[in-house]
Amino acid sequence: MEFSEAEFMIVQTARLLEDGRLVFIGYGMPQIAAILAQRLNAPDMVQVYEFGAIGSQPETPFVRFTMGGPRNCAHSLAWTNMNTIFACAQLGMVDLGVLGATQVDMFGNVNSTILGKDFHHPTKRFPGAGGANEVLSYCWKTIVVIMHEPRRFVPRVDFISSPGFLDGSPGARERAGLPRGTGPYRVVTSKALYGFDEATRRMKLLGVRDGLTVEAVVKEMEFEPLVADPMPTLESPTAEELRILREEIDPSGVVIGRRAG
Amino acid sequence: MEVLLAGQGEFRVEDPDAVREHMRDRKARALVNKVMDEAEAVRRFVADGDYVSFDFSSFTRGPASLIREIIRQRKRDLWYAAKFTLMEATLLAAGGCLRGIDVGFMGLGHYLGRVIEEGRLKVCEWTNGTLNQRLVAGAMGVPFFPTRALLGSDTLKYSGAKVVEDPFTGKPIALVPAVNPDVGLVHVHQCDIYGNARCPGPGAAPLETAMASKKTILTTEEIISTDDIRKAPGKTTIPYFLVDAVVYAPFGCHPGGTPGMYEMDIAHFQEWFAAERTGMDRYLEQYIHSVASHTEYLEKRVGVARLMELKRAAQIKDGYV
Repeated sequence: MEFSEAEFMIVQTARLLEDGRLVFIGYGMPQIAAILAQRLNAPDMVQVYEFGAIGSQPETPFVRFTMGGPRNCAHSLAWTNMNTIFACAQLGMVDLGVLGATQVDMFGNVNSTILGKDFHHPTKRFPGAGGANEVLSYCWKTIVVIMHEPRRFVPRVDFISSPGFLDGSPGARERAGLPRGTGPYRVVTSKALYGFDEATRRMKLLGVRDGLTVEAVVKEMEFEPLVADPMPTLESPTAEELRILREEIDPSGVVIGRRAG
Repeated sequence: MEVLLAGQGEFRVEDPDAVREHMRDRKARALVNKVMDEAEAVRRFVADGDYVSFDFSSFTRGPASLIREIIRQRKRDLWYAAKFTLMEATLLAAGGCLRGIDVGFMGLGHYLGRVIEEGRLKVCEWTNGTLNQRLVAGAMGVPFFPTRALLGSDTLKYSGAKVVEDPFTGKPIALVPAVNPDVGLVHVHQCDIYGNARCPGPGAAPLETAMASKKTILTTEEIISTDDIRKAPGKTTIPYFLVDAVVYAPFGCHPGGTPGMYEMDIAHFQEWFAAERTGMDRYLEQYIHSVASHTEYLEKRVGVARLMELKRAAQIKDGYV
């Protein structure tokens, strides 16, 4: 069955969401992945959002822009506020975070602020760290969801908006003062799935989309990741996953629309 | 405490004693009627050069009618707390009102990015959470708030935060300075004429915004009796003495929504996205400068039919109203 790049990313992300856990959901694709996961593999996952909704079960069809709106915060267990929910994450209550990203580097640092070396005269300005800095700082594990394009996978980001494993040296996060035992966990792209090597903290290719070779995937990156051996092929979206996405969650295709290239 | 690392971003240090004296001298304790129209509220309580904060987003319960009035009155040199703003910071920049912004997440659009790339707007980097923590510190009357966000990031280097060694654990900790905005803008579902206000639902920090701000302007969907307030005091989000002005502004968040009352206007946002690419001047003229007030904006630019649709679309009521 054919599927779009967005559908592939959403499905891979959804499969990583763990049942019975508190999961901090970021804007956009993570929202859709969370709805899908809750209908399949993680019915008792507790979604939390930065405007303080806890345990919300968003209404479908999904409507964009609705992080803090009634459709996204529907069927919650509690409505708190931004300070309370980030405090819960800082306290160590939030198991998993899921974020969309603009650019990521080999140590999982995320840039959503600028391109260019001069902060005061950037070649390109992006929206800023947002709540992603809190998610990557506080959640025990963080999943980053990103389109697979060379300019998005760089050896070092121009600007660390939100912290990955920083310079990759042992204990770098803890030395900076970040909570112990936290950091990026998986990177989901339109072509592949990555993790991070325990010892070197370098990004490691863990699986590729069916039909793609490791070479084809790595060619679309500006650094060489570590590579698992043997290399698993990621299971393509199933008919049931695609049916739920297309019929129930996003029938107008605003998020899942883009076709695989 | 030794400072291990200091951000180089521009911000104003608040003296908590000066803030206390402001609260003593300038905030009325008496129950006085604070209802006025938005033109008077902005004229009296927003000055050129002010630091302006708001609650909570462009899509949901944001103070859109006040932002339009600030632009209409051509206020200048404001510093705006652009935490998760899609629209407000962009409108204010296009309207020539801004000197700088504190960035949490400043929008998905293109216009503001271009203004910054061209060096026409000063920027201080923060995060959504730390901008709120700065308000919490301001609201508590303490000079800073300790946080484990920002650490290790370049965001910190271009913020006003400092990293110190925690005197208790010895671990590095980031301190973010208190912010006491000159003006806080909060849209609420209901309030009385004194400013006792209700804004149920998820949110950012409506109470802390009102507490921290030296002047607080409320816009409200409905004005209700103080008797009603007293019958259900658990619903009061913001007590009156924090509030300087109450502006009656039904549909005051448009094109955003007020939860349980009307939905956001997605068609208008599409028009907005297009305007961001083609130039903001026409948008500003059409929706701000060519109308005299929020009433005229609703009447001549949005229209009853659209407003009725948005109200009809708000079918999730429970917990909000």
